[in-house]
Amino acid sequence: MVRVIVVRDLVKEYPGRRALDGITFEVEEGEVFGLIGPNGAGKTTTLRILATIIKPTSGYVEVCGKDVLKEDMEVRRLISYLPEEAGAYSNLSGLEYLRFMASFYYNDEKSVKSAIERAIAISGLGERLKEKTSNYSKGMRRRLLLARTLMVRPKLAILDEPTSGLDVTHAYHLRRVIKSYSKDYGITVLISSHNMLEVEYLCDRVALIDQGRIIETGSPDELKSKYSTVNLEDTFMKVVGFAQGS
Amino acid sequence: MPKGLKLLVIKEVKDLLRDPKILIGMILFPALILPIMGAAINISTGSLVEKSSGPLTIYVLDQDGGKIAQKVMGFLRDNKVEIIVLSGSYQDAIRNVAGGGVLMVLPEGLSQKIESGTRGEILIYYGFKDFSILESLNAQRVSGLLSTFENVLVRDLISESAPSADPDSILNPLSLNEKSVIKGVAQPISPYVLTNIVRMQGLMGPLVIMIVLILAMQVAATSIAIEKEAKTLETLLTIPVSRLNILFGKLVGSVTIALLATVANVFAFTYYISSITSQAISSIGNIDLASVGLIPPPEGYFLLGLTLFGALVSALALALTLGTLAKDVRGAQSIIGIVIVPVFLPTIFLMMGDMQTLPASIQAALYAIPFTYPVLASQSLITGNYAPILAGLVYMAFFTLFTLYIAAKVFTTEKVMTGRLSFKRRSP
Repeated sequence: MVRVIVVRDLVKEYPGRRALDGITFEVEEGEVFGLIGPNGAGKTTTLRILATIIKPTSGYVEVCGKDVLKEDMEVRRLISYLPEEAGAYSNLSGLEYLRFMASFYYNDEKSVKSAIERAIAISGLGERLKEKTSNYSKGMRRRLLLARTLMVRPKLAILDEPTSGLDVTHAYHLRRVIKSYSKDYGITVLISSHNMLEVEYLCDRVALIDQGRIIETGSPDELKSKYSTVNLEDTFMKVVGFAQGS
Repeated sequence: MPKGLKLLVIKEVKDLLRDPKILIGMILFPALILPIMGAAINISTGSLVEKSSGPLTIYVLDQDGGKIAQKVMGFLRDNKVEIIVLSGSYQDAIRNVAGGGVLMVLPEGLSQKIESGTRGEILIYYGFKDFSILESLNAQRVSGLLSTFENVLVRDLISESAPSADPDSILNPLSLNEKSVIKGVAQPISPYVLTNIVRMQGLMGPLVIMIVLILAMQVAATSIAIEKEAKTLETLLTIPVSRLNILFGKLVGSVTIALLATVANVFAFTYYISSITSQAISSIGNIDLASVGLIPPPEGYFLLGLTLFGALVSALALALTLGTLAKDVRGAQSIIGIVIVPVFLPTIFLMMGDMQTLPASIQAALYAIPFTYPVLASQSLITGNYAPILAGLVYMAFFTLFTLYIAAKVFTTEKVMTGRLSFKRRSP
């Protein structure tokens, strides 16, 4: 299998604090890989390094064989990132926003149009896409942004808390889209989430992360079986308890 | 223009122009409010002038009853002044101007004094009711009329005592024929009139430059902060476009909006200034500078354009760098509030005075500010003194490159995301 993500001994230090303390993991093509952990565990920092926004203090990170430090522009052509707190340009319509974003990935109008059509289907927002995004609800904006992330069919989609703060209807729609898109087009997805139900539904494998370190990796079923738990929430609490007791 | 940069500039201009704060606050509001202010000033000044040139009444208490008293009243009547002659005491007379108006008291013996060659005195009482500009204008009008009467009286007295003499030759034995030498050619214009016209016409350049720079800096500094606040920056930094293109996209977008705002402001400001100064200019003579050899040469305009462009780019690079480090829009605005001080300082200093007359320390400080050079270039259009401008251009080029380098450095690192520059005191 082709490795889309390789992360080795990743360390990120901020003044007075070590956000990542030697993280190592790999993700294969077509996998949906989840990073699970409490607030401040280092999930977003890991995602931001992979998305070329911030640079690691030490360690090695590659996406599809490209070093994120040395080949950041090439990496940006392969990824599509949905931050946890993301917005769209409030004075542009949904369609204008999608066109603006798609135009960076394609050189011909036909491909741009195809990407926009995919985004229209993914978002399910229909005619509302003609309105300014300032009129959108939080759920609608998140659907637009997920559509923007997936419409370019990236090699790697990086999704930070994709359904955070959304009601059941919008969250359900987004999860179904992520799952089907990954399956249908073989898109590798790296996802971070607090929602264990979401993680169990979406992820092929997960890494449990706490205080900047990965403390366990495996498929949801493997982990539940290993720790004799009925769900990932219990697994996480048990693993964190072990880690803190060790 | 690279495709990514073009996309970013189009987005930037579209997004900014659709922002009501920018469209109304920076373009439409100044374009409307300044002409409205100018029109309001025009209307009130016009009606004031009309009223102050209307019928004027003067109460006169004639205690003299002589020839001079008759002469002064006759003169005033000839100049469309209604004279109401009072009788009785001075205390009774002054009551007439308690609610406004003018009382002239011609004391006993006035005519005798003047005719015998000694100075006489006329008492004028200006009654103030509401301390309005009209009351002040009326007082000036009476004062002016009596001053003219004094001139007439002097000439009459000279003619009476020396019938063969020309009163004007006695009063003004010297005639001053003043000329201003401009670029070695004597021009028939007095130095005071020339200086006033040059100052008046040179006022616009620095003011417009100041407006352009301040507007552009505000747009540039807040454009990154808006992306941070709207949570669009994080996504923008991960799309396949170079950080430098994002930076230049912001620069070009800000310049475009600033230029649009400038056009609106210049038109509005020109109308405003012409509304409030039209009378002042006509009073000193509306003389075309070109007719006295003060035609700004093409190289002057070229240098002005260069310095303005340099100042604009360095101001924007500075504003973008600082705006990038701000946490949010409010933070960016507070930073710019401080940074614009060196933008308007040269304008204020050089609008009111000359560089050469300033203390050496202030001159050095002004020369260190790149935004001084467009103001100097604007003045050199008339003076033709290009040497400091050329030296300034070299300095500005270095300053701009250095600021752009810093902006690019900040933009290509994670500081663009993690920057937290603020002038607010941090809580412990």
